[in-house]
Amino acid sequence: MSTAIEAAVVAVIVATVVMAVAWPFLSPEKGAPEQALSPRDRSRLELMERRDAAYAGLRDLEQDHRTGKVSDEDYQSERRRLRAEAAGALRGLDTLDSEPDTSSPEE
Amino acid sequence: MATVGSALLLLVLALVTYATVASVLAGLRRDRRLMRSAGNAVMAAFVCTVSAVVLLEIALLRHDFSIAVVLQHTSRTLPTPYLLTSLWASQPGSLLLWLTVLTGASSLVTLQNRHKNRELMPWVTAVLSGCMVFFASMATIISSPFERTAGVVPHDGFGLDPSLQNPYMAAHPPALYLGYVSFAVPFAFAMAALITRRTDARWLASVRRWTLFAWASLGVGMLLGAHWAYVEIGWGGYWGWDPVENAALMPWLAGTAYLHSVMVQEKRGMLKVWNVVLVTATFALSIFGTFLTRSGVVDSIHSFVQSPVGPALLVFLSIVLAFATTLLVWRLPLLRSDHKLESVVSREATFLFNNLLLLAFAFVILWGVVFPLLSEAVRGVRSTVSVPYYNFFLVAFGLPLLALTGIGPLIAWRRATPGSLWRTFRWPVISAAAGGALLALLGLGSSWPGLTAFSLCIFVTVTIGLEFARGASARRAIAGGSWPRALIDLVSRNRRRYGGYVVHLAVVLLVVGIAASGAYGSVNQAVLKPGQSMQVGGYTLTYTGMRSTTGPNYVDTAARLVVSRGGGTLGTLYPAVRDFTDHTVKTQSNEVDIRHDLRGVDVYTILQGADPSRNEVVIKALVNPMVSLIWLAGLVFVLGAAITIWPDPREARQLARRYSTALAKEA
Repeated sequence: MSTAIEAAVVAVIVATVVMAVAWPFLSPEKGAPEQALSPRDRSRLELMERRDAAYAGLRDLEQDHRTGKVSDEDYQSERRRLRAEAAGALRGLDTLDSEPDTSSPEE
Repeated sequence: MATVGSALLLLVLALVTYATVASVLAGLRRDRRLMRSAGNAVMAAFVCTVSAVVLLEIALLRHDFSIAVVLQHTSRTLPTPYLLTSLWASQPGSLLLWLTVLTGASSLVTLQNRHKNRELMPWVTAVLSGCMVFFASMATIISSPFERTAGVVPHDGFGLDPSLQNPYMAAHPPALYLGYVSFAVPFAFAMAALITRRTDARWLASVRRWTLFAWASLGVGMLLGAHWAYVEIGWGGYWGWDPVENAALMPWLAGTAYLHSVMVQEKRGMLKVWNVVLVTATFALSIFGTFLTRSGVVDSIHSFVQSPVGPALLVFLSIVLAFATTLLVWRLPLLRSDHKLESVVSREATFLFNNLLLLAFAFVILWGVVFPLLSEAVRGVRSTVSVPYYNFFLVAFGLPLLALTGIGPLIAWRRATPGSLWRTFRWPVISAAAGGALLALLGLGSSWPGLTAFSLCIFVTVTIGLEFARGASARRAIAGGSWPRALIDLVSRNRRRYGGYVVHLAVVLLVVGIAASGAYGSVNQAVLKPGQSMQVGGYTLTYTGMRSTTGPNYVDTAARLVVSRGGGTLGTLYPAVRDFTDHTVKTQSNEVDIRHDLRGVDVYTILQGADPSRNEVVIKALVNPMVSLIWLAGLVFVLGAAITIWPDPREARQLARRYSTALAKEA
């Protein structure tokens, strides 16, 4: 490959790459600014994870009970605990939804 | 070609530097356009890196000896497949491979998260791009694959290292690199979660498959390397506790610990700090593994690579550790546990013990690897740690780990009662005790670690069998249908759990293979003249003469050995010494010959030497029982990992619902 051809190939590659990198600034779509999570968002996320973990725990408990890993007595007490945990998370979510969002995103 | 290749790598360096700066700014300013631009830069870097790889492969295929790595690692008579794989035989080529996999993984992460994880992604991209800046700098400044040959370009190259002329070299290094490099993704997400204070379970869910993929690739890479050592290195074994083998094992052990402890965080909200520590340790050990492989600071069968990249890799490792430690300390208050350990007889406690054993094992291996360096630095004398040191800890930590492999899945979360323990474990324990007694009666009591390992393997196998049987039975009770249907439903509805059990089954096969071949093998060495025989493990090997064959770049001189047992002839083996004709200095390799049989026994023969003047050969022969189970374990491991990694649409829907509802602003 001659030097001139090599230089031309490199120039084409550089131009293409610069175009690709600059494209988001050239395209008509406007870049809406990202918003950070507010404390309310974080609380909601935490409650949903607690709710889903309790649901998953109940599913596993059911399976463990059916397969004999957990006694009837343990099953009942653990089931009560997980249901209370899920109910607590759901209550928390209801409370959160009924309050107006006055928090601002965290920095 | 070299000019274009060098320009491409410079462009990659510029792109990933830009991506690092742009993504940090995008994270600080919450600027989506800047973030998209950074993402495009990462993908452009991948395209440029792949183009550089293609150019180098073309140079290798065209014997362009004006490029130094082509001259130093190939020859005109080298077969085409090895011309292609010689890319990663050289130091600069393997760094290029690292960079290719890293830019590829980063591009995939960018594409996967185009419309999600918007708060995390700028920092994920920044961390990944920071890593890419390091490797791109090495590929352009310290160790360029396109460096030109100094002086007059010779007509032919120096040839490829003989041990690398093996089909396994096509897959072993790329698989290892996929593993090492992919661990950068969970590390980047963990750091991004700490930076953004998003220490909820989102980052765990985002990296689960990447972690499994990295861990599975590293596991497959190690098994391929073990098979390569078995058929190519010619010392009769598959694992020699070589520093570079250890380098791959350490992150794999840390990754295994993480894969278990992450379940405790998901289920019980515990071990959050520990999980970040494990992700960091796994990635740091991957970098350390690359340092060991590439620096040449330790004596190793991989010591064909000596280079100045070692100090740079150590600096990079220090930066990674300092960065992660600072962030972890900074965000420690966010990582408090939701629950406490309620009982030492619970699944979370079992996982904790498993973690401690895995980490302790990784640490003793690390100590064994760095001990020669430390002893040289402190006393001026390089003392090495030998195989018995590693084997002792393999037994000391491996057997309890094997027991936990069986206990963990059967024990309940939170706490287990004596009654439920007896109900759950009686059959596995009775089976293991009965099986162990039977094996002792059959004469396997000569090795107590071997016998204990077999008994524990029975224990684990029965627990896995019971899990599948009880699970399928429960499934049938709910949904009806046939047993196979119930089994398929069971696995498809709980891919992580049952895929994990299949991986446990692979561990059992691996342990049986290692224990049987390590504890019950035989070895013999003899000097033979034509017509003479030697005995090994109940087999008779009769030497009947020499045979010479010629290949494209070598000449094989083989001893003909007739294998018989109990009077019956089983076949002929041809262990050889291979002389390479494309090397300027005399270069030889041992070409072992192995006979596998249906009982899983390998008769492994090595031609240690030949003296034509006295018409004698020196033969070393080994009988290795059940080594084939190790390779079978590899296939089962891949199956289990695939089941676990395979996307679960219901899980994806649940995660999407959770995060899109919770974070309406992100949609």
